[in-house]
Amino acid sequence: MNTQAAFSVIIYLFIGSGVISLYRVLSGPTAADRLIGLNIISAQILAVLVLFAAMENMHVYLDVALVYDIFGFVGILAIARYTGKKEALK
Amino acid sequence: MTTLLLALHVLLAVIILVSRNMLTAVILLAVLSLFSSLLFFILHAPDVALTEAAVGAGVSTFLYIWIIRKTEMEIKP
Repeated sequence: MNTQAAFSVIIYLFIGSGVISLYRVLSGPTAADRLIGLNIISAQILAVLVLFAAMENMHVYLDVALVYDIFGFVGILAIARYTGKKEALK
Repeated sequence: MTTLLLALHVLLAVIILVSRNMLTAVILLAVLSLFSSLLFFILHAPDVALTEAAVGAGVSTFLYIWIIRKTEMEIKP
């Protein structure tokens, strides 16, 4: 198996596992479950972005992964702070 | 792979439209933005994917959560 096919198989595996872990986001009983699911999917899609950049051999593509990591962390932090404040009020 | 991602977009958008909880809708919107960024990336448009990742995942989620918190404070006296 050459390198290109191996990269392709690994990318398909990562996207498939992301779709499988979408189940926790769609049917989580509480908001914390959905938040953990979002975090897991974010990590897996980040791995797909880096693998795609390595497969195409273009280091411009790595900037997308970097920017998504920073801003996704900001979004997850905002949701986590809101959830924590709502739980503390109960 | 493009067909799978587009079907996922439609499924997520319908679930966001029919969900009654605000926080669930915002989290699912973040997931939809993530898959949209991946779709743009796979279609060889890294600049569009960069903008979608910055605006859709970060600023939009932060803004929606902020507005939900502000309006809940006003409704609850």
